[in-house]
Amino acid sequence: MTTRHIVTPAMLALALIGLGGTAQAQEREVKITGFGAKSGVVRSFGVNSEAAMLAAADQINKAGGIKLGDGARGKIKVEFFDDRCVAEEGISVLRRIASSEAVVAVGPTCSNVAEPLFGVLQKKFGDASDTGVQMPIYTDVAVKGGLAKISEWAFRNVPSEAVMYDELFKYIKQRRPELKTVFGGVEEDFAHSRATWHAVMKEKFTEAGYQIGGEAKWLLADTNFANQVRDMKRINADIVAISAHPFSSCGVLKEMERQNVKPKLIIGLTSSSSLETMQGCAKQVEGTIIPTSFAPVTPLATAAADATAKFNGSLDLHSGAAWEIMIVLKDLMEKQGVIAKADTVKADREKIRAGLAGLKEHEGLIGKVRRTEDREAIKPFVFVVAKSGKWEVLHAPSM
Amino acid sequence: MMIDFLQSLVDGVLVGTTYSLIGIGFTLIFGVMHKINLSYASASVGGAYCGLLLVGAAGGKSALLVFLMAAAAAGVIGYVVYLTCFRFIPASHPLGTLMSTVGMLLLIDEIVVHATFGVPVAYPPLYEGPSIELGELYIRPDYLMVFAVGIAAMTVLTLLLYRSRLGLATRAVSQQPVAAQLCGIALYRVNAATFVVTGVLGGIAGAMIGASVGMLSPLLVLPLTVKGLIVTVIGGLGSIPGAIVAGLMVGGFENVLQYYRGVTERDLYVMLLLFVFLVFRPGGLFAAKSERN
Repeated sequence: MTTRHIVTPAMLALALIGLGGTAQAQEREVKITGFGAKSGVVRSFGVNSEAAMLAAADQINKAGGIKLGDGARGKIKVEFFDDRCVAEEGISVLRRIASSEAVVAVGPTCSNVAEPLFGVLQKKFGDASDTGVQMPIYTDVAVKGGLAKISEWAFRNVPSEAVMYDELFKYIKQRRPELKTVFGGVEEDFAHSRATWHAVMKEKFTEAGYQIGGEAKWLLADTNFANQVRDMKRINADIVAISAHPFSSCGVLKEMERQNVKPKLIIGLTSSSSLETMQGCAKQVEGTIIPTSFAPVTPLATAAADATAKFNGSLDLHSGAAWEIMIVLKDLMEKQGVIAKADTVKADREKIRAGLAGLKEHEGLIGKVRRTEDREAIKPFVFVVAKSGKWEVLHAPSM
Repeated sequence: MMIDFLQSLVDGVLVGTTYSLIGIGFTLIFGVMHKINLSYASASVGGAYCGLLLVGAAGGKSALLVFLMAAAAAGVIGYVVYLTCFRFIPASHPLGTLMSTVGMLLLIDEIVVHATFGVPVAYPPLYEGPSIELGELYIRPDYLMVFAVGIAAMTVLTLLLYRSRLGLATRAVSQQPVAAQLCGIALYRVNAATFVVTGVLGGIAGAMIGASVGMLSPLLVLPLTVKGLIVTVIGGLGSIPGAIVAGLMVGGFENVLQYYRGVTERDLYVMLLLFVFLVFRPGGLFAAKSERN
């Protein structure tokens, strides 16, 4: 074997590696990691968020990807981790993401995960005495009010239920002035539904001049609602507000039908304006009104819903937020000059955090999304009504 | 107020039929093998899902067919549980079977969650009309039907146990497994048959629960497992009449307590009832008075 036999292949191999390196430099990977529930009973949330993120990334990449700070092009690579809607697992997933090259994390699904998870982040940016995790997190689903204020690294693109229900009750007051009394039903063991009834609906009903006649409580996995509906029947309120997820909402609605409880109006929880509810109790939910921050009412929203369906997901108010986050991050990373190299991860995360902190508004799927000082979103929303097995837009107050 | 108490009691007792069915499954397996099958409720709900899936895939819509297929599918799942969690695990490792059934519970649950995205699915109801009014009392006809099906299933099971060769063999294995084998009874076959029979019963329970709720969700598994175990302990491990009475009792007790103390305290009192039995009557409802250590 001559020297030429050894050197030539070696040179070729080096050249190939070099070419590969050049290609890599031209088309760098920008890692965005999603996390949420992909197993357990809230699996559909994680599945839909992941599908929306993948669909949005696919659209961005096909359009040329992201223009990075050093002039190279970056293609978004989405990874998604399962936290099973368990706080400890969410924190463990966050630490795993923080030790990777991901420049930003999107999630989580559950408010009971988001709250402690934001607690392990550095509270105040730049505080050297605080050794908390320094990773920008942009939340798409966990909707319990006011969580982003926990850390300056936490941002949310979730609707303000306080604003939505406030507008809804004012709208009802105007359109149906004869309705005076309210009976509330709440799924007491789920952070979102509990907070929505006790901290949002009740307060906003009272502010709008309604009289709360009574309330009934049940648990997420309950199957017998006879006692609660009997109370409801006894109070005979004009409006029944059900702050519960599809499984128990449908159980209550079916029991109301059995006991012949027919309020003049039923109002539901934001998360129940979904296909799940229609699959479970289309007949009984007929006429129910729910405020939501997503409905396929614009060409952009329809196209996003179609694209997400190709990734086996369904776009709703939660996964729609994940789609919006991806589009916002793309623009923001270009503006902030993110480099997306292994040695720039920390700087890139800080750039993204700074960009998100400075963001005042951006385009959303159904209109402009405004950002607040405490890193929350004020999203456009519509009121939908259950009609013939579908959710139809009843009114669009902020579009 | 008296009418509310009565209404809560009636509702609870009728719902308790499903607890009885699940409790019987736990207790029968314990009676025969002296081991707990923690995946029982999960397999029951899994069977109910399979019934819906199989009939749906064949283009059918008949509720009766869904229930029958649920029972058959749960019987098959019961056999698989026996093979994977009991048959090949050495008798000298009793905790092995317990842990393997915990694993099976989670596995079946997660398979259902993945197949359905965790989304509740509509289940054919037994009856969709309004409740029957008896004076001021309301009785849900579907609960009455669940109650009737439950009683029928329990009667068939009792006849099977006390009027058939399989039942005789099952009781023999339950009382004296070594002597039963010496008499020519095939131990493994009887154990497998017990799992299939309890599986079928579980499938009926799963289908009845789905039909009375109008939906199936993986959310049902954990509460049913806990209630099934409580019923088994209160009824007395291995006692079928005990499981029947305990199921109805727990159903009525929890619903009445829910009425008086609210949903957030309800399960506390059910657990307290369990502790009362464990301390004062550890052998269950129909046990002879036992000495305490």
